[in-house]
Amino acid sequence: METSRREFLKGVGVAGTGAVLGFPAVVSAQARKGVPSDPVKIGVMPIRAGVAAPVGAAGQRGVEWWAERVNKAGGILGRKVELVFEEESNPKDTLERFRKLALQTKVDVIVGGISTAVGLALGPAAEELKMLWLSWDATTQKGVEETMPKPTYSFRSVDNEVEAIGGALLTAKYLKGVKTIAGINNDYSYGHDCWETYQAVLKRYTPDAKSVLELFPKLGVTDFTSHIAAIQQAKPDLLMTSFWSGDTTILMKQAAAVGLFKTMKACFTTGGGVHDSLKKEFTPEGLILGYNSMYFNYAGASALQKQFVREYKAKYGEYPPYECDHGYFTVESYKAGVEKAYKAAGEWPSKEQVAKALEGIEVESLSGKRSWREDHVQMCSFFQGITTHKNEFDFVTIDPVEVLPTTRIMKPTTSTKLLEWINSTFPLKG
Amino acid sequence: MRRGPVALGLAAVTILALPLVAPVYHVLLMLPFMAYAVILLGLNLLFGYTGLVSFGHALFMGIGAYTGAVLTTHLGVRSLELILLASAVLGALVAAPVGALCVRYVKIYFGMLTLAFGMLFYTFLLKFYRLTGGDEGIRVLRPSLLGFDLAAVSKTDYLAGAYYYYSVAVLVLAALLMWRIVHSPFGLCLRTVRDNPAKAEALGISIVRSRWYAFVISAVYAAVGGALLGPPIGNVDPTLAYWTHSGNIVFMTLLGGFASFFGPVLGAFVFIFLQDTVMSVVPYWRLIFGAILAFLVIFAPGGLMGLFAGRRPGEVSRA
Amino acid sequence: MTANLINILLGGVFHAAILFLVAAGLQVVFGVQRIFNLACGSFYALGAYVGASAVNAFTGAGGPPALFIVPLALAGLLVGVVGVVVERGLLAFVYDRDETFQLLLTFALVLMLEDIVRLTWGTAPYSTSALYLAYGQVNLLGATVPVYNLIVIGASLAIALGIGWLLTRTVFGRIIRAAADNREMAEALGVDMRRVYAKVFTLGTALGTLGGALVIPATAAMSEMGIELIVEAFAVVVIGGLGSMRGAFVGALVVGVFRAVAIAVYPELEMLMIYLVVIAVLVLRPRGLFGRVAV
Repeated sequence: METSRREFLKGVGVAGTGAVLGFPAVVSAQARKGVPSDPVKIGVMPIRAGVAAPVGAAGQRGVEWWAERVNKAGGILGRKVELVFEEESNPKDTLERFRKLALQTKVDVIVGGISTAVGLALGPAAEELKMLWLSWDATTQKGVEETMPKPTYSFRSVDNEVEAIGGALLTAKYLKGVKTIAGINNDYSYGHDCWETYQAVLKRYTPDAKSVLELFPKLGVTDFTSHIAAIQQAKPDLLMTSFWSGDTTILMKQAAAVGLFKTMKACFTTGGGVHDSLKKEFTPEGLILGYNSMYFNYAGASALQKQFVREYKAKYGEYPPYECDHGYFTVESYKAGVEKAYKAAGEWPSKEQVAKALEGIEVESLSGKRSWREDHVQMCSFFQGITTHKNEFDFVTIDPVEVLPTTRIMKPTTSTKLLEWINSTFPLKG
Repeated sequence: MRRGPVALGLAAVTILALPLVAPVYHVLLMLPFMAYAVILLGLNLLFGYTGLVSFGHALFMGIGAYTGAVLTTHLGVRSLELILLASAVLGALVAAPVGALCVRYVKIYFGMLTLAFGMLFYTFLLKFYRLTGGDEGIRVLRPSLLGFDLAAVSKTDYLAGAYYYYSVAVLVLAALLMWRIVHSPFGLCLRTVRDNPAKAEALGISIVRSRWYAFVISAVYAAVGGALLGPPIGNVDPTLAYWTHSGNIVFMTLLGGFASFFGPVLGAFVFIFLQDTVMSVVPYWRLIFGAILAFLVIFAPGGLMGLFAGRRPGEVSRA
Repeated sequence: MTANLINILLGGVFHAAILFLVAAGLQVVFGVQRIFNLACGSFYALGAYVGASAVNAFTGAGGPPALFIVPLALAGLLVGVVGVVVERGLLAFVYDRDETFQLLLTFALVLMLEDIVRLTWGTAPYSTSALYLAYGQVNLLGATVPVYNLIVIGASLAIALGIGWLLTRTVFGRIIRAAADNREMAEALGVDMRRVYAKVFTLGTALGTLGGALVIPATAAMSEMGIELIVEAFAVVVIGGLGSMRGAFVGALVVGVFRAVAIAVYPELEMLMIYLVVIAVLVLRPRGLFGRVAV
């Protein structure tokens, strides 16, 4: 009885969250040697509430789109894919959900994780539980330092600071003559680290650049009138921000209301996360804007990305943000890892074998080629550029688009000291 | 009245046998349950026995959790006994002045003051990130138990085995001690202060001082329980000190029934396992939990214990 | 220099104007019903979402952008009717219970409303795009000030005066004050407390929802904005004194302006500053600046 009730509940959950992606006509599961016939269970952990909920939704949509296609094409080595959702929330509850997926639902792999605090709890848990964990956006960094130098089962996102480095590169290249800078960043590690890093890189190009104001409003603040007044008082040449959620839109709108960017340049390293809310009426041309690791309108995009953008727009009525591709990449690389390990093992690979196979693996993701570095860090390209109104939308896009690979804007190993690297071997040109 | 001891005995046997029979995941879910049970035993000295509802006890849970983190990560102290002791002492040290300010008031005023201090601490944890790790918090390394470092055991086995029974022991001790407290003359004082302050005064009981003792004791319980929450997570962060966390433990108390000694413990148990199920089934679990809470407040203020007892405990309505 | 000062002060006052509306809703309910409404922040969020929806529907139907304030304010006021539903459907059952239960019931509302908002509007920030700029800017002694901010400040001030008039010059106001002073006496004199409670709670709710609606053009609605705001509104009433309308007014100004000055002078203190003021008030003058004797 007990089992049947649990199965029933699971069925309800699946219907409720739109989880198991149909079992379409292609049930001609090509029985392969050593491959079980039951579905592969993939645990997915999107954030559902709070500031980062839209990011969580985007990651989930990327994974769902992938699962639909993979199941239509026959699954992974003939095994159907079944998605099991558990919510990412605060670190304590998320860890409990992670344990549930690993110990109770017994999934084959877990993808997801956006907040750093959550990543810091999940990384060690993945190792303890010997559970493959492919992070979307979360790192296991404390500040700019890696806390897990030699992981076996956990694979994490790019360093938190890469967009700030990219933003500083573009500032030096496009916004000449910037001497005084002000920063407004969220009051948590990501915000603090981005601001420190941005200044350090900019100083490599403009040694006499100096900070005149640093503001750290709490994440979730929805009124920046007072902050903008402080910025007006400080009169910097440029305002830098790593805002990525709805606060980007609010800041832009309230800045426009007092004409802030008429006299000042700006660098929004991560604002592309809410790109379609940055309407032309209040977002000027000529700002630096970063779209993280996927730019929906990139002219050089692959056929895969173009198809994804089209179908996403048709289904959700908006253009996809970058997190979709983090989601897509984690599951697509898992599939590739399983297939690669299967070739070597001749049977469905263990989690250890998949983990080994993932090291250094490269796959075609939505935004182009992406890979896992040998030390389990995601490698991809970042898209940043200068805002323009010359497009068919009612919001800004970027032109020119600079494609910045992590091989250029991320420190080469997790053990490299970030500031030492920026001040020594960081490639100024290229 | 034979039912009580029988139920308690059954619960004890179940808890002791659980790691041998239940799936590991459910054993691990018992760890936050036991931590919350300790916290709630203390909270209910204030809520049920003294009539003061704190909306700021996340402060003391946070103190306990961060004490464990700082001791294991920064000071090299790994002994869980020392961590619990230090948490208790720090909890009491902070609760003494905070409590002295808060217990001058009752009802809403008391609730708001505790909320204010709770949020002050939360903001401190978030702001002073060099000291507290900010949003990232601080790691909690695996504590040693009774001098055994148990480093050879896998973390899951450690948690589902030694740490589990250690938590059981802490909970049992905490419950025995609290039982003594509420059945002592002091416990009687608290109830008199709650039900009839004028009479208490006439009897020569210092109302403010009794409340203050209750506040400090409950804070010590919250800090010890908070310290137990840390190791299973492995990393503590400021969300543990946010005001909604304080709200949750009040919710648990009400769910189980604040009018009974074991009510809150039952509440913690039901809350955790209900949340576990509901979260997996529907994304909108907060709506369901809100509805459950509203239902309890309106129709079953005595909580689950009140329903089992089949009668409304005398102290529920005291408008 | 003057321009900067004006920017900083007006930034603070704008924030205070919104805070005042929410805190006033909290105060009127507490003053009469002795309920500390944790859900006031959720009503604020609800007002923001409904206001934005109304405005978007209005402009979508071809309404002139310059008139958007009309559907905005109407929607903000009208959604206040959820107050009646909540009061009659939930709170009315627990008036004879301890205040704690009433507090917990409003906590239940916080949990439920957050999910109801997410179910209805999704999780993405929701806004009225660029209407904020529709009224342009004015130059005040060298400072550029968005006209909409001035409208909100003016509206909030007008509402403050209106409430003052309502409380002191009308029959309803006298009943409210009588009920706040001595409920039994008011009842003995023939006041139907059921109706008074329903009206008072609705008024309190409408103030919160209107606050949310008025702020939305300048910002974007997010599902957890209520939980964030409750803490600030709470600081306002502690500083001003629970239950006092003048307290809400002065408290909101103190919180808004202190925050703005802290951001301009020593940004590290931003939120901490408010808690420090709260604790200072609690220690030095526990009943707040305008509160009656506590307990």
